[in-house]
Amino acid sequence: MRKEAGPFLILVINPGSTSTKIALYRDLEPVFDETVRHSAQDLSRFARIADQLEFRFAMIQEALERYRDSYRKIHAVVGRGGLLAPVEGGVYEVTDAMLQDLREARYGQHASNLGGILAQRWAEHLKVKAYIVDPVVVDEMEPVARISGMPEMERISIFHALNQKSVARQAAEDLGKSYADLNLIVVHLGGGISVGVHKKGRVVDVNNALNGEGPFSPERSGGLPAGQLVDLCYSGRFTHSQMLRKLTGAGGLVAYLGTQDMLEVRRRISSGDAHAAQVVDAMAYQIAKEIGACSTVLEGRVDAVVITGGLAQDEQLVGDLKGRIAWIAPVLVYAGEREMLALAQGCLAVLTGREPAGKYQASLGH
Amino acid sequence: MYRILVINPGSTSTKAALYSDSHPVWTDSISYSSECLAGFPGILAQFDMRWNDLLKLLDRKQTAVSGLDAVVARGGPFKPLQGGVYRVSGACLDDVKNGRVQADHISNIGVILADALAGESGVPAYFVDPVSVDEMSDMARLTGLPEIRRISLAHALNIRAVGRKAAALLDTAMEDLDLVIAHLGGGISVCAMKQGRMLDVTNANEEAPFSPERAGTLPSGQLVRMCFSGKYSQAGIMRKLTREGGLVAHLGTSDLRLIVKKIEAGDGHAQAVLQAMAFQIGKTIASMAAMLCRLPDAVVLTGGGVHCGPLVSGIRKHVDFMGPVLLFPGENEMEALALGALAVLRGEEKEREYPA
Repeated sequence: MRKEAGPFLILVINPGSTSTKIALYRDLEPVFDETVRHSAQDLSRFARIADQLEFRFAMIQEALERYRDSYRKIHAVVGRGGLLAPVEGGVYEVTDAMLQDLREARYGQHASNLGGILAQRWAEHLKVKAYIVDPVVVDEMEPVARISGMPEMERISIFHALNQKSVARQAAEDLGKSYADLNLIVVHLGGGISVGVHKKGRVVDVNNALNGEGPFSPERSGGLPAGQLVDLCYSGRFTHSQMLRKLTGAGGLVAYLGTQDMLEVRRRISSGDAHAAQVVDAMAYQIAKEIGACSTVLEGRVDAVVITGGLAQDEQLVGDLKGRIAWIAPVLVYAGEREMLALAQGCLAVLTGREPAGKYQASLGH
Repeated sequence: MYRILVINPGSTSTKAALYSDSHPVWTDSISYSSECLAGFPGILAQFDMRWNDLLKLLDRKQTAVSGLDAVVARGGPFKPLQGGVYRVSGACLDDVKNGRVQADHISNIGVILADALAGESGVPAYFVDPVSVDEMSDMARLTGLPEIRRISLAHALNIRAVGRKAAALLDTAMEDLDLVIAHLGGGISVCAMKQGRMLDVTNANEEAPFSPERAGTLPSGQLVRMCFSGKYSQAGIMRKLTREGGLVAHLGTSDLRLIVKKIEAGDGHAQAVLQAMAFQIGKTIASMAAMLCRLPDAVVLTGGGVHCGPLVSGIRKHVDFMGPVLLFPGENEMEALALGALAVLRGEEKEREYPA
């Protein structure tokens, strides 16, 4: 572990489907934090996400150029983790095995796959190390939580690990305790919704936010009555990809109200749209049920329920949730998400020697 | 002491019993072979035969209708109703005789038999908590897709019967209690009963938790992929979900006693699966507290599964923190029907009127 004296300059890269977030952190303070948007036209040139590498590299280069007077030396590069084989939470060096899995999209296509790839590209350029932190595939599930009612279908852990763990650590700090000593239920309310059981620093159970488990959300349909879902699949009304779209992208609020914008939905409710109100109530209720369920995983010993994500800015939603689950534990709210900071935090922990970086091994056979 | 005659028509038999308050005086069953039943064009056509055989049975038992305080029948899959004890009325009989029911099931003739018996004698005829009881809050019906709604289909008769028993134990009216009730049978239903109303209940056929025979809720993405894989027919997948799911799929049997024997013999896999089922049941129980907005006054476990010690202790590990856990093993439809009528006769519950 390197034990240079700080402060450390960390380049943070967080690629999304239509933008790349770029930041430079000096320890935990942002020197700059920008979102570069990409037009559909620009991106349509590339057949696969991995092909966008040089295009996005150039964007980052241009941003760094503009701020070149704000820093002398960059110490490390950290990227958003992509779809990989399941890993424990933590910071991981970008290895050849990881790059291969990301380039081949072995575990699925996702813009975040470019995180590790871009980080490595920059690391080579700057002659420093590249890392990823808490990818969505963090899996710390206990064996009992993996078993479903169908043996060939194990439950899978895919959730907003980066934000969940970062906010959980913040909550711990604010409670004057260490993350590894607490039992928390963390509720990430975003385009997708994940409710994770953090038992002494490990997420031992969480709904699969990407693939149809748990509460419905602004654009996802969540868990559904199995028999009716099967009937819908065989009804002949929808193709396979149309059904998958209903689960992710065109489900939830989008399916009922044609929008995933909560501000827009609240405007409609204020103007008397009773249907919209009913749908939002149903969503809040499903979220509350998921939180309730998580209380038993911790056998009732819950230090706090932590609510985070973009939708945590919706006071009415948070109030509704509190009313339904305050019996579990005190409720703490950290609205919004802090992915860039979380990535910087993880990287800094390695640079200061507080935490070791893990080494990713590609999983054997799949 | 109230004398209550209970009538419960099933697919191959008619069960009858005489209760004195909550104690059975006699129980009997009139059986019918499939050849015999095959001759009838429909359920309602069986009425005369079943009626005559019932009269003969009452004669043999020397039970005169005039000596009764009530006749009570199992209700059928009528239109959706609030839970409770209903007077068999003209409106109800009209709906049943004209097919205005949700399904054509033999239990539908229960009310016709009860009405015919009670008829001239002035003895009241009731039905109690049919399977069509639906008190679900509208908010709980919505799923993440408009095409799919949650359906209230649960063991309402047993759930409400144990609700009454829990109320008696806690010395409080059911209408003043918040309970979470889990019926553990071949299928499992878990219900949030707020002030006596089943505001949310999981559908035993297609929702979490998994059970001895059912797969419960499954990750939607994986299920959709399975449907479109080309490897299964619709009937094949439904079988995997409802008859060959859960414990049957994992362990080859739904028999909890056999499974406990395996566990005692050191079968770690059986132990892991049974505990996973207890884990899912516990999670579903706690999720219902979100409807109550508070911890329940009691968690109630009922159904055959409560006879299984390791299952009960597995569930209690997760829900003991929620409050008192009351156990009512098994289920007794005849008793549940009698107790419903008894509650009305004693003035503990108001009889309901079947909505026109």
